[in-house]
Amino acid sequence: MSDKKTLGEMLTERGVSRRSFLKYASYTASIMALPPTAATAIAQGIANARRQSVIWLSFQECTGCTEAFTRAKAPSVEDLIFDFISLDYHHTLMNASGHLAEEAREAAMKENAGKYIVVVDGSVPLKDDGIYSTIAGMTNLQMLEETCKDAFAVIAVGSCATFGGIPGANPNPTGAVAISDIITDKPIINISGCPPIPEAMTGTISYLLSFGSIPELDHLGRPKAFFGEAIHDRCYRRPFYERGMFAKSFDDEGARQGWCLFEVGCKGPVTYNACATLKWNGGVSFPIQSGHGCLGCSEPNFWDMGGFYKPLSTATGDPTKFVGGAVVAGAAIGAASAVMARNKRNKVLKEGK
Amino acid sequence: MLRDSAAPCLSDRATGMALSVLAEAGRLLETLAATGEPGFIDLRSLPLSDADRSQLEDLLGRGEVQAELDVAGKSEVWETSFPGVWWIRHRGAGDKIASEEIAVCRIPEILITHPVDIEAAASRLREELETTDV
Repeated sequence: MSDKKTLGEMLTERGVSRRSFLKYASYTASIMALPPTAATAIAQGIANARRQSVIWLSFQECTGCTEAFTRAKAPSVEDLIFDFISLDYHHTLMNASGHLAEEAREAAMKENAGKYIVVVDGSVPLKDDGIYSTIAGMTNLQMLEETCKDAFAVIAVGSCATFGGIPGANPNPTGAVAISDIITDKPIINISGCPPIPEAMTGTISYLLSFGSIPELDHLGRPKAFFGEAIHDRCYRRPFYERGMFAKSFDDEGARQGWCLFEVGCKGPVTYNACATLKWNGGVSFPIQSGHGCLGCSEPNFWDMGGFYKPLSTATGDPTKFVGGAVVAGAAIGAASAVMARNKRNKVLKEGK
Repeated sequence: MLRDSAAPCLSDRATGMALSVLAEAGRLLETLAATGEPGFIDLRSLPLSDADRSQLEDLLGRGEVQAELDVAGKSEVWETSFPGVWWIRHRGAGDKIASEEIAVCRIPEILITHPVDIEAAASRLREELETTDV
């Protein structure tokens, strides 16, 4: 439950120094692309905040988002977020089960009315009165509406909660929808990805704690700090794209030399996420660095975008149905740029002879 | 820093970013000297290659002060050979760099003891003295 003491008072009693707050704040400012001068304000904001009550609802999902959020690591600066929040309900992680678990959710809602944050992973089935996913005798729809009623804000994590994800993929047998299709009277922050980058989740919660407001969002309700740029824009393989140097298959010389993966299906040009900069597993790597194209998992309906290994310019299916003109435009720009780059390279080589 | 073994050439090359950062640090240092206003450069947000990073470290050098902090993981802070220009490196899980910045100031805030910590320490020391038999 939320504590009456401030986080500063609570953690000082446990021997956590203000330097820890400042270090965490520097880390948060850096991952959210805030100026380093914001670190002092973030540290002060967190120190003055109360422990944030969080109710985490899991619906039609695979638990990958929870795995990403709680990635097992030695205690470090990134893990301080778990001191800053009170995870009052999470049916995968909590000790209580059955009616005791549901009582914990109801008590958190009552004690923190208007102040708690609801985090949701998973989509909500609406077909056949929502019978395809129920918890404690309630459909996901009933639980979502009841829990969000007095929430301060809702954070939809993962592509299932933000856009319907795999449960919502063709032919969508359960009538799965995104959280924003149901909750329309609360601020909703979408943190898409399959799973989302852990830092995008913790950074957003830290921002809410520090400033008491919603960070700047893009047209799909995602924090611009993490979803403001395409993977392609920050990809370290982009110089190869500009020069028209593409891997044609996963075992050719181009792939071995680390050339651009556009022609083997990389969706980086139309995918907005921070994988290329924050990376995964504590900054070890991201799919493109590991030799595989981006799947586009943080974009709406990525599962139906026409084949993971088909280049954007030859995508099957009807991409306009999923992301408007973005895929077509991206593919057209990508293909044109690639041709221009190749022509330029050939010209340079020819002139050099 | 970890690199992609498939494309080693990319991180081995200096791109000129080190000189840009150095020039920015110079501007901030002049402002600090003239007005006392501190400035910061977030290195993690810049597309620095490994070569850029080590070139920048070489160009700035090391000065008179170096500190190692054990705060939610390790941190290293040192004043460069240009007094007032500090390098702050915070490490996170797995000892990887969580954030890194150049701070142009008299002393980085993280080295200053916060009044709340001083108060808590005074109280703890008082209790210690009351319960210790000498």
